[in-house]
Amino acid sequence: MGLLFSYFKSLIGTREMRILILGLDGAGKTTILYRLQVGEVVTTIPTIGFNVEQVTYKNLKFQVWDLGGQTSIRPYWRCYYSNTDAIIYVVDSADKERIGISKDELVPMLREEELADAILVVLANKQDIPGCMSLKDVHQALGLEALKNRTFQIFKTSAVKGEGLDMAMEWLANALKNRK
Amino acid sequence: MGGQNDSVYNDSFHGFYKYMVQKDEFCVLILGLDNAGKTTFLEAAKTKLSKNYIGVHPSKITTTVGLNIGKIDVAGIRLNFWDLGGQSELQSLWDKYYEESHAIIYIVDSTDRDRIEESKDIFDKMIASEFLQGVPLLVLANKQDVPECMGVREVKPIFNKNAHLIGKRDCMVLPVSALTGDGVDEGIKWLVECIKRNVFLRPPRNQEET
Repeated sequence: MGLLFSYFKSLIGTREMRILILGLDGAGKTTILYRLQVGEVVTTIPTIGFNVEQVTYKNLKFQVWDLGGQTSIRPYWRCYYSNTDAIIYVVDSADKERIGISKDELVPMLREEELADAILVVLANKQDIPGCMSLKDVHQALGLEALKNRTFQIFKTSAVKGEGLDMAMEWLANALKNRK
Repeated sequence: MGGQNDSVYNDSFHGFYKYMVQKDEFCVLILGLDNAGKTTFLEAAKTKLSKNYIGVHPSKITTTVGLNIGKIDVAGIRLNFWDLGGQSELQSLWDKYYEESHAIIYIVDSTDRDRIEESKDIFDKMIASEFLQGVPLLVLANKQDVPECMGVREVKPIFNKNAHLIGKRDCMVLPVSALTGDGVDEGIKWLVECIKRNVFLRPPRNQEET
């Protein structure tokens, strides 16, 4: 029954993709969400709870959830895992001190069964800040080479300047379309 | 008591069922310089060898910084492809995958005469790794659709220079066009035979619960 239903839905192709934007507090998740939705930088305050918006990109509809990243509310991320098509994991590339904490949040999350089929996009954000970590630095610091059963890609972005997001979304849209 | 017996029966039946249905799974690592056509090749292989798969249009394929995976069932086994980024700063990540790989596909841009030596140096460095001893190698001279490109006759001697590093493992250089799909399935068929022959050295990867 469920199979038939999902087949039927895939024929119409109207299902919204469900995407979670996760990452430590201050990584730039909310700025990215509104960059994607309205194309502008909005003034944000630390998110307590979540923001959810519908974003349309290349005929694909995304339901994008931006969850608060502070230590005390990270345990609630798991409440949003089910039916997630993709995770956008945002890293503050200038925050070398907390990249280890960022890894410690990411690794157990990717072990969750509910996220086994989710595509991962890592955004090495705040690339506009001089002296920030390179792609390879972020890749290694997050231990991404241990991921062997999941399609993922890492992008340099600057949410305040609007750089890199288009490339990341373009890749994600294609990866979601072609997922088997 | 009866319940216990039932569960033993069910477990062994389940195990038998899985044994009958599951395919042996092998990992194939796709390497080569950036812009050699690794991701395009993977898409071409998926399009050619899996039913109902419509690949990403080549114009939409961007530089890989990360990992693309692809699963293809062919000739009774399952191939699990890992397509990694080829940029020089990412090459140091390749060896993290060597130990678990059952075969390597090394892709060469046959149109890029300026970088063929660079590609060969990286290739030599890769095959010198102790973790790849005895692992079959398929070198693909890609972009054969471009008229001015180097043919296999030109590419092969370059990559065969260090025969002592290649040693006894299976190694083959084939022409291919990932863009048009020409030569893609021939290459994979050859690789499958090698993987099957090599199964005593590199047994299939343990099946995980799906």
